[in-house]
Amino acid sequence: MSLLSVKNLTRSYGSLQAVKDVSFECEAGQILGFIGPNGAGKSTTMRIIATLDVPSGGDVLLDGESVVARPDQARPLIGYMPDRYGTYEDMTVFEFLDFFARAYQLRGAERKARVDSVMEFTGLAALQHKLTSALSKGMKQRVALGRTLLHDPKLLILDEPADGLDPRARIELRELLRALAQQGKAVLISSHILTELAEIIDTCAIIEQGQLLATGTVQDVLAKTAGVSSSVEVEARVLPSAVNDALAKKIERLLLEQPQVSAPSVSGELVRFTLGLAPGSAATAEWSQQASVRVLRALVAAEVPVVSFTSREHDLEDAFMSVTRGRVQ
Amino acid sequence: MTPAPPVVRAPDVFDRWGEALADKVNPIIVKEVRQGLRTRVFWVFFSLMLVACLFISLGFFGTAEVGTTSGEAAFISFFVCLGGVQFFVIPYSAYRSMARETEEETWVLLTLTGLGPRRILSGKLGSSVLQGSLYASAAAPFLLFSYYLNGIDLPTIVVGVVAAVAYQVFLVSVSISVATLAESRIVRAMLHFVVLGLLLFGVSTGIGLSSGLAEMARRMLASGTFWLVTSAVVLGLVSTAVLLFETAAARLSLATEEYARGPRLAFVTQVTGLFGYFLWGWTMGTDADVLVVGAVVCAAYLLFAGVMLMTDRDGMSRSHWVDGARWSLLKPGALRGYTCVVLAVVVVGGLFIGLAERTSLGVQERLVVLASPAFVLLYLGASNVIARWVPRLANQTPAVVRLTFLALVVVGCGLPPLAGQIISEPDDLVLNALNPLMGLVNIGKNGLEGTPFVAFVWAAARVATTWAFVSLRRLDVEPRA
Repeated sequence: MSLLSVKNLTRSYGSLQAVKDVSFECEAGQILGFIGPNGAGKSTTMRIIATLDVPSGGDVLLDGESVVARPDQARPLIGYMPDRYGTYEDMTVFEFLDFFARAYQLRGAERKARVDSVMEFTGLAALQHKLTSALSKGMKQRVALGRTLLHDPKLLILDEPADGLDPRARIELRELLRALAQQGKAVLISSHILTELAEIIDTCAIIEQGQLLATGTVQDVLAKTAGVSSSVEVEARVLPSAVNDALAKKIERLLLEQPQVSAPSVSGELVRFTLGLAPGSAATAEWSQQASVRVLRALVAAEVPVVSFTSREHDLEDAFMSVTRGRVQ
Repeated sequence: MTPAPPVVRAPDVFDRWGEALADKVNPIIVKEVRQGLRTRVFWVFFSLMLVACLFISLGFFGTAEVGTTSGEAAFISFFVCLGGVQFFVIPYSAYRSMARETEEETWVLLTLTGLGPRRILSGKLGSSVLQGSLYASAAAPFLLFSYYLNGIDLPTIVVGVVAAVAYQVFLVSVSISVATLAESRIVRAMLHFVVLGLLLFGVSTGIGLSSGLAEMARRMLASGTFWLVTSAVVLGLVSTAVLLFETAAARLSLATEEYARGPRLAFVTQVTGLFGYFLWGWTMGTDADVLVVGAVVCAAYLLFAGVMLMTDRDGMSRSHWVDGARWSLLKPGALRGYTCVVLAVVVVGGLFIGLAERTSLGVQERLVVLASPAFVLLYLGASNVIARWVPRLANQTPAVVRLTFLALVVVGCGLPPLAGQIISEPDDLVLNALNPLMGLVNIGKNGLEGTPFVAFVWAAARVATTWAFVSLRRLDVEPRA
C-alpha cells in the first residue's frame, strides 16, 4: 500500500476548477516531483494533502486514512513547507525551532534532543544564535525545512523549496532531500526548475490547468513522452584554431544539403542544428542515431575538423514541454 | 592551538524551575515574551512611564502640604501614564504581532502543529496581560503613593486598576480580532488606521472613565443604578470580548475545521445573557421608555454582530454537509450562519414585542418595537442577496457581503434625507420608509399613521429574507452542476 494516495481529487472556486480529477501515489522513501506551470493547481493540491483546504471531490489517503475526513490524525504525519518561508524575523534559529518544538508538544529533554538533532542534520548548529533575519535565503530555507522535520513526519510536502536559491544552496538542498528519502520519508516536491528536479526525483506528476497529464517513474514518463517529439537537437564543436568565415559558410551549406536538417547555426566553434521529421511523426531513438551518424559522416567527408558531436537527450524539460500546452487558468 | 570551549554554567534551581514552567505554559506566551523583551518599544515605553511617574510624584511630593487632598489628581496623573501604555501601546503591539502572523501566514504553520487557533489567540492575549502586569507592577508604588496624598481611598485605587486590566483585555481582544480580518494588502492598510482610531478612542474613554471614577467614586459606589449599569457594561464588554475572540479563532481556523461552533455559541449565549440581564433590570422599574431603548439597541447590536456571524465563503455548508448533522446551526457555512442570526433576531424581536404588549406603551413606541427587528432582517437579507450578484471568487464572499452591508447602511441612512431635502422634507415619510434611522424616528413620531410603513418594512424584510435563503441554498448547499 502506498504511503500517499491521491484519488480523483477535485477543487473548485466558484466557476473555476483549480484541480480536476487528479490521482497519483507516492511510496515511503520516494521523492515525487510535482511539475506544472504557475496556476496549474500544484499548490492547491499540496494544500489539500497538507489538510489546509477541503477538496470539492475525491480523497487523499495517508497511511490508509483519509486526510479529508480526519485531518487531526493526518497532521502529525505531515511536514509542510509552503512557498513562503514564514520564519519569525526577530527570533534566533534556536528560538524559532525551539518554539515550534514546543508547539508540537515536545517537552524537556526530548525537545532539546530533537531540536539539536534537526539543527545538526540541516547544518544549522553553528548558526543557532543568529537572528533568522540575518540569514541568507538558503539558510532561511534550511530553517524552514528544519521546522518541518521537528515532529519526524512520514510525508514531506515542499512547495517550490528551490525557488530563489543560489546554485550552492540548491545542491545542498538536493543532498538533504536525498538523505531524507533514505530515512524512509516520502517527499512531495514542486518546482519550476526541472533540471534540478530531474536529478533527485524518482517519480513525477505533470499537471496543467488542474489536470494531471503524465505520472509515473521518471523513466516511464520520459519513455512515454520521447515518442511524441518529432525533432532532435544536435550540437557539434569544431577545432577552435580552424574557425573562420569560410569554414562557417561551408558548414552551413553542407548542413542545409542534408535531408531532415533545419535551422543550422554556426557561432565560433559551436555548430547547432535540428534533425526533424514531418510533423506528427515520432522521432525514435534509433532514427535520431542513424540521422546523426549520416550528418557526421558528411561533415567528416567534407574535411570539417569536428572535435565533438552530441545529440541532446530527451529530458524532463522536453517531457514537460511535450505534454503541456502553456495554458493557464 | 585549539580555542578553549565556551564555559557553560550548570543550570541552577531557578533555571530548572523556569524551564519547567515554560514547558507548561502556552508556547505562544514563551515566544511573545522572548520577542517582546527584545523590542525597543518595550524598554522605551517602560522607561518613559517610570520617568514620567517619578517626575509626577516628585511634583506632588514637593507641593504637598498638611491638610491638602491632592491624591485624586495624583491618581489621575499616574493613571494617564499607565493608561497610555495599557490602552494603546500593548493592544497596538498585540495587533502588530497578530497582523504579522496573518501577513506571513505563520498562523497556518502553527495550526498544523496542533496548537489550534484558540491557543494561538489566548497566547497573544496572555502575553499582553503579562506585559500589562509588568507595567502595572512598575506603576503600583506610584498609585499607592497617591493614597498617602489623601483624597482617594484604597478601594477606588483597586477598582481602578482591576477595571484597567479588564479594559486592556477587551482592547487587546478587539485589536487581535481586527488583525485577523485582513484578506488583502489594501484592507490591511485600511484596518491599520481603523485600529489606531479605535485605540485612540479607547485610551481617551479609559482615562476619562477612570478620572470620573476617581472624582465621583464615593457618590457612585453608593448608588444602585451605578452598579446595575456598571455590571451591564462589564457583562457587555466581557461577552463582546469573548465573541470577538471566538470570531478571530474561527477566522484563524482551517477550512477543514468546524470553526463556526465557537462564535455562534458565544453569540447565542451573549444575546440570551444580555436579554436576560435587561429583563431582570427592567422588571425592577418597568419603565416603558427603557423597553423601547432596549429593543432598538438590541436590534442595532444584532444587525452589526449578525453581519459578522452570517458571512462565510460560499460552498462551506456543502463541504460540511456529508458527515451528518446537516441542519446543525453550529456547523460552518453562510446558510447556517444566516439562519442562526435570523432566528436570534426573530426570537429577541418577538420577546420585545411580547413585553411591549404587556405594558402601557403608547402606539408610537409599540410600532418602534415592532419595526426594529424588521429593519435588521431587511438589511441583512438584502446584503446577502446583492453581494451575490457581484462577480467574484467564492473565497471573497465574506468581505463582499460585509462591504455591501456597509454600503447599504450608508445609502439607506444617507440617501433618503438628501433626496427629501431636494424633493420635499429631509424626514419625508415615504422616502425614509426603509431608512433604519429616520424611518424609526418617523414611526415613533407619527403614531397610527406609521402603521402602513411598519407593514411595508416587514413586507420588504420578508422578501429580502426569503430571497437570501433561496440564493444561499443554491450557492452554499446545492451540488454544483
